[in-house]
Amino acid sequence: MLDPLQIIRLVEDNMRAHGLPFPAPRESLYSWAKPLNLPEKGSPMIYTGGLYQLTPYIVSVVESLSKTEDLRLTSMAFRASRLLSALGLSGLVVRPKADVASYIERVLRSIVELLREAGVKVAYAYEDDMYSGVILYDLGLDSLFKENAVKVYRALKSRGAEVIITVDPHTTHIMRSVYPKYVEGYDLKVKSYLEVLAETGFKVERRDRGDIVIHDPCLYARFESIIEQPRTLLGNAGFKVLEPRRSGRMTYCCGGPIEGLAPKIAKTIAKTRLSELAEKPGVIVTMCPICYANLKAVSDEKVEIEDIALLLRG
Amino acid sequence: MTLKFEAWKAFEDIYDVLGNQEFQEALKRASTNNQAKVAKLLHERPELLGFAEEVRDLKRRSIEALGELIGKAMESLERAAAKPYYAGTAEEARTLIGKIIGSGKRIVMSKSMAATEIGLRSYLESLGNEVWETDLGEFLIQLEGSKPMHAIAPAVHMTREKASTLVAEKIKVQISRGSVEETVSAVRRFLRDKITTADVGISGANALAADTGAIVLVENESNIRLVTSTPPVHVAVVPVDKIVPTLVDAFKVAIVQAAYAGLYPPTYINIIAGPSSTADIEQVRVYGAQGPRELHVILLDNGRLKASRDPALKEQLYCIRCGRCQFECPVWVHTANTWGGPTYGGPMGIVWTAITLDPVEAGKLSYLCLGCGRCDEACPMNINISRELRHLKTLATQALRRS
Repeated sequence: MLDPLQIIRLVEDNMRAHGLPFPAPRESLYSWAKPLNLPEKGSPMIYTGGLYQLTPYIVSVVESLSKTEDLRLTSMAFRASRLLSALGLSGLVVRPKADVASYIERVLRSIVELLREAGVKVAYAYEDDMYSGVILYDLGLDSLFKENAVKVYRALKSRGAEVIITVDPHTTHIMRSVYPKYVEGYDLKVKSYLEVLAETGFKVERRDRGDIVIHDPCLYARFESIIEQPRTLLGNAGFKVLEPRRSGRMTYCCGGPIEGLAPKIAKTIAKTRLSELAEKPGVIVTMCPICYANLKAVSDEKVEIEDIALLLRG
Repeated sequence: MTLKFEAWKAFEDIYDVLGNQEFQEALKRASTNNQAKVAKLLHERPELLGFAEEVRDLKRRSIEALGELIGKAMESLERAAAKPYYAGTAEEARTLIGKIIGSGKRIVMSKSMAATEIGLRSYLESLGNEVWETDLGEFLIQLEGSKPMHAIAPAVHMTREKASTLVAEKIKVQISRGSVEETVSAVRRFLRDKITTADVGISGANALAADTGAIVLVENESNIRLVTSTPPVHVAVVPVDKIVPTLVDAFKVAIVQAAYAGLYPPTYINIIAGPSSTADIEQVRVYGAQGPRELHVILLDNGRLKASRDPALKEQLYCIRCGRCQFECPVWVHTANTWGGPTYGGPMGIVWTAITLDPVEAGKLSYLCLGCGRCDEACPMNINISRELRHLKTLATQALRRS
């Protein structure tokens, strides 16, 4: 267990300094889309909220903070604060995991390409693709979350967004089910790209691409009722979808949400889930960068894990 | 004696059990078995889903009218010749019970989380009484000197090997290592003598009917029957959130609790409406026939009435303590009740800790919540537990930032 206050301060300081919860350059959020030259205004608009792009940084932050995780919390709190203050709390230098970073770029570009193939033309706000504040909400930093939410909403509105297309379950949930409670007059319509693709009847003309084991993200399955869409899309793309022991509404968490505070427990949970997914043959499909990173971190080379966007893109 | 709890210290225990292979194995076996058992049960008996829906509705109505129901229950208990008491705090409850029981007594207890909540066993011991737990799991906890690790299955963290060794050592009997049968039989022999000679029996309650003052208790071991009917005095500790309007309502609560704990039909459901009595001679009622002569009922508030007016915590009072959310929680299945507070544990337990003890400390425990919502999905009362836990996080975060 790490000292929550240290994490809270780290996140707060970074948010105040540059609008991101971890030390990462602002550009890291939108550089993936530069070669795509998407219109910067209009609707529907892709809104990533930054979770995919921040994942390589989160992995690095967790790795460096994990070193201070100790069995004894009393000494732990002390050690964590020593390490962080030695580095300077907001001066903590984080190098993104390079392999994860390039993977994430491919995922995001694939999503835009999939939408394009399905006939959905999207705008993208580039510099105004701001961090949604998921972690602020999860840490109970409500006033900072609200402040940030209002900024995000205004920026999206000023770019002409009416419908936003989200790319991960956390951002989908926060924009669709949480923002309305914090932002007055909130009127954005929020859809996950999986819902958009399923609505268009999107189909890839490929057959017999083998077995895949589906790992439903908690927020899609239990909070946003996105269960059938990925199955339909994967089936249409020629995959045989296998269900793990716990799936759909009773899907099992990857442990990711507490990796920043209790990496050991998070890893234990990830191992439990991975071994369950590996009971079935086939590639494990994830729909969330946190699930991807967490399951990946406890897997060996025998297990193949792939983001749904890359599988659909094929 | 005050009950204090510090979340940071609890994290030490959590990390200890993470590295304890036996603990992890026992929990894995128990949660896997339980998940499968309940899923099968609900599939085979869809009528239970209907019962759960009825209980959801009646619990909501009960909590809305909690203050009124407490008053009604007190009146009904008096009519039933029981002695009702209202205890605002844990301290008050202990003092009341201490006065009823005094010292130098032999006391047998059936498993009661409410008794644990008020620190009853150690308090009565400190007054110079001899106290025995009679639920097998709770008895193992007493021997081990730990806390209940699950709402229904207190010794869920013990393997058969651990349990048999513990009993053999503590009550000094010969038991083949790992034999569940021999362990159960040794405990039965040991406790039978305590029960038959006890001065006081203490129980909790699954529900209390406001219309009649009847207490409903569900069980499989039959220890509750013995504890509540053998000694001359019965003291029941009943948290006020367990009060429901009618006896039929109370019965439904017991049925649903048992089913969602994976025990259906339960072997026994006890209804206790007053002390034992007879009017067989000339139709003159005399109390203290074969059962207790006195029944004392402590209605324990300890933060509950206040919580019933707090929109962020109110829903927790619908909880019937089936422990479903615990077995389904990805964190709990590795920590058991080391995570949750001194009495309760897991998703629902943290909220109970907030209500009955300290919302900020409970909030610190919530930092381990994944927000994954399996508890919400599993809860037969549809309590939005993950939302409550996130609310508690905001309280802890505010407190930490001020510190």
